[in-house]
Amino acid sequence: MSPKLPEETSSMSRKFLTVLASTTLAGLALAAPASAADVLFLAEDVPAGLNYDGPAAAIPTSQTGMVNVMEPLVYYATKEVNSEGVSIPDFGKFEGRLAESWTFDKATLTWTFKLRAGVKGCGGATLTADDVLYTFARAKSVSGAAPIGWFLSNVGSIANFTPAVFGDKEENKKAKVLGDEVTKVDDLTVKIRQAEPNALFLPVLTIFGLMIFDKETMEKHATKEDPWSHNFVNNEGMGSFGAYCIERWTKDNEFALTANPDYYRGKPAIDRVVMKKVPQSSNRVVVLQSGQAQLAQSLTPKEYDSLRKAPGVKVGGHSGNQNLFVHMNFKSKPFDNIKVRQAIAYAIPYDAIIANGYFGQASAWAGVVPSTYPGYSAAAEPYKTDIAKAKALLAEAGFPDGKGLEAFADSFALSYVAEKETTVGPIVNAIQSSLREAGFPVTLNPMPQTQYGDRQLVKKDLPFAINEQEKPIGVDAGYATQLFFVSGDKGGLNNMINYSNPMVDDTWAKARVEPDNAKRDAMLASIQKQLMSDVAWLPVVEYKTQFAWSDKISGIGWHPDNSIRFFDLKGK
Amino acid sequence: MLLRTILRRLAVGVVQLLGLTVAVFFLIRLMPADPVSRFVGINPSKAAYAQAAKAIGVDRPISTQLLHYLGLAPSQGKGLLQGNLGTSWVSNAPVLKDIATALPVTLELITMAFIIALIIAVPIGMLAALRPGGKTDKAVFVYGLFAGSQPEFWWALLFVFVFYFKLGIAPPPLGLINPMNSPPPPRTGFYTIDSLLAGDLTTFFDLLHHLMLPVATLVFILSGPIIKMVRQNMEQALTADFVLYARAAGMPGSTVARYALRAAMAPSMTLIGILYGFMLGGAVLVESVFSLPGIGQYAVRSILAFDYPAIQGVVLVITAISLVVYLLLDLLHAIIDPRLAQE
Repeated sequence: MSPKLPEETSSMSRKFLTVLASTTLAGLALAAPASAADVLFLAEDVPAGLNYDGPAAAIPTSQTGMVNVMEPLVYYATKEVNSEGVSIPDFGKFEGRLAESWTFDKATLTWTFKLRAGVKGCGGATLTADDVLYTFARAKSVSGAAPIGWFLSNVGSIANFTPAVFGDKEENKKAKVLGDEVTKVDDLTVKIRQAEPNALFLPVLTIFGLMIFDKETMEKHATKEDPWSHNFVNNEGMGSFGAYCIERWTKDNEFALTANPDYYRGKPAIDRVVMKKVPQSSNRVVVLQSGQAQLAQSLTPKEYDSLRKAPGVKVGGHSGNQNLFVHMNFKSKPFDNIKVRQAIAYAIPYDAIIANGYFGQASAWAGVVPSTYPGYSAAAEPYKTDIAKAKALLAEAGFPDGKGLEAFADSFALSYVAEKETTVGPIVNAIQSSLREAGFPVTLNPMPQTQYGDRQLVKKDLPFAINEQEKPIGVDAGYATQLFFVSGDKGGLNNMINYSNPMVDDTWAKARVEPDNAKRDAMLASIQKQLMSDVAWLPVVEYKTQFAWSDKISGIGWHPDNSIRFFDLKGK
Repeated sequence: MLLRTILRRLAVGVVQLLGLTVAVFFLIRLMPADPVSRFVGINPSKAAYAQAAKAIGVDRPISTQLLHYLGLAPSQGKGLLQGNLGTSWVSNAPVLKDIATALPVTLELITMAFIIALIIAVPIGMLAALRPGGKTDKAVFVYGLFAGSQPEFWWALLFVFVFYFKLGIAPPPLGLINPMNSPPPPRTGFYTIDSLLAGDLTTFFDLLHHLMLPVATLVFILSGPIIKMVRQNMEQALTADFVLYARAAGMPGSTVARYALRAAMAPSMTLIGILYGFMLGGAVLVESVFSLPGIGQYAVRSILAFDYPAIQGVVLVITAISLVVYLLLDLLHAIIDPRLAQE
């Protein structure tokens, strides 16, 4: 190797310095988006998986990933844009997405869907009836770790989607195969048959867990061990017909999407959306405020409140389906005593929670079903803070001034999810003070989300807890009733408080298959009245799902899964 | 001789790893929650629960699970012996792949921080010991009080606020590179090395720019204990007989200091090595503030989700790295103090 000449060395140094200077300047320009049509979205995490039958389906950020790269057959029409600039869906009006139109034959309980022609996915495939059949066949195979597709089909009473699919016996294996309940009429027509009338059929089709796969792309990634390509959508990509295509996906780090140029509703206004995991919510706030990100979510109510006055940033939201309630387990003494339950209901500091816990972005909740859901019925007389009345009820319950309650110290350990400490911490402290004033020996018991979930969903042994994470994904009062309040042996899957009332069970059994909506709503109202008088759940507040965004974009929409649809976004 | 020592240490290391693997396998199963519950949030029916339990293999007897994990049950699939750390229950990706993505981020961060901290802290510690009560010594005392008074998490947030939000000289705390740009093509997993291999100097300097603040935070935190260690060991060395003899023999101060430093560095290196091993997982708070997807964050996320295979994998890999670091330290010791090699 010949030695370098002085000029050469000097030229190299100059080159190095030029690159150094230019890159430093570029760095100082910081993370400004590459073009006005790019959006940097700061979130608490990125999708852990895109497989709705996979292990990550229950994680909110995974759902955000799914709804932006997949597409449903039908969805809700937009109702309005609220005063905060957030669009709200109309739960009473469905519009076609991948399905152009549909009809229902009451006699045979069969829905006929006409699919749109020329719909193209990111993989280049064109939508046909085979894609719909593939989606339902995959759901019925229950081959994933958490079979949500099957579950939603079952909730919507699609024929033959029964629990017989679970197990390894010969009859189970046969039950896993798609039969004549979902059939292809021609390339763009599909028929789906229900086993019984059920108003939940169209609502379940809007949910991420029944969005349509692109068979061609999915089958390209199938293997002998994994014929339904779970690994592909768990870890690598997606085969569907959504508004965005995956450019880059590094778990625990970032999820970069580019607009699908062939999207059937038109090419999205935002070319690129990069979802970046920023674990500290305070950092999401400062980066958004500095203008280097355009969208942020999962901030604390206090942070949203502080951003409301910040220049260049907008904050908005909608009280759609997020709420906070007190969970009292009927199997834990003394919560089996209705007077104790009522006493607690009168000792909750409702107004203080709204003002100090949610900075005014919440309202009192007079029911046990989200008030925006069809079939919701408000209680005539919701509970209000009245410590004197709480004390009187406690005395009536046999515990004057709380005497005798010390024997139930374990029951009064108020559990909540430790990861939500910044949001729930001030609220549980306010509840503890107020309940202590009324005579209840309340202690606080934060625990990891997984442990809370285990005790709530599986063991069902949490005596006393604050819950602010339940949002029924089926938009219907009946769905919420079945999920949370029907007895465990009658199909109440998430009856975390071990509530059992024959009136509720029997009325729901009739309402579930009632084709007349008015009659169904009346039955649901009577159920909700009973639930409120039993204090099955103690509803506290409904709070807003909020987002913060740069004033350089608009088009934020609220959806029941609380996930932003990037297609709705517009640049200014 | 040296080779025999290394081989013996490696053999002992393997036994240690095996013991730890088995211990961790049972310990995590004592955690107070059932990992299956996380899978059934939307459909918590008994059938769905059984399906999820089967999918992640916890429906099998615990002895079968252990043998499978160790790779001693070929009918169950590959295990540790076959180089398989299992599949994460959160990401559903192989744990080895997850760790191979996360570990280089942390190694890059803490190695840079340690190199800079050593360059700064060793001379300062030396000076403080050579002139007790002098300006450097006083400044070190004040700095020690300062740096040790708040957790690194607090300093990191403060640095972000001052250097990014107020002064605008640091990039936003959004990880290793500008999220709107593509990372360098992966070869080693270390972004800085990969960008150089790709000849992409723009990305390389962008990386350095993004690493500036997290590295500075760690240097600020790490320098305190390193200075103290060097100062203390140096003080001891300066009172040793050979220093007294050297001074009596009229050797120049700089030569005496060099002799003393050599003697002081041996115990200091041990502590620095332990600190490095600790920081592999201990940098988690700095990783979290600067959105760096490192091994610390991966470990915390795995623990909170009761993701057994990921927890086992992280413990195993961090322990293995710590063992290698300790072995290297012993070799370094032998170079600093040849008497050890003789023993």
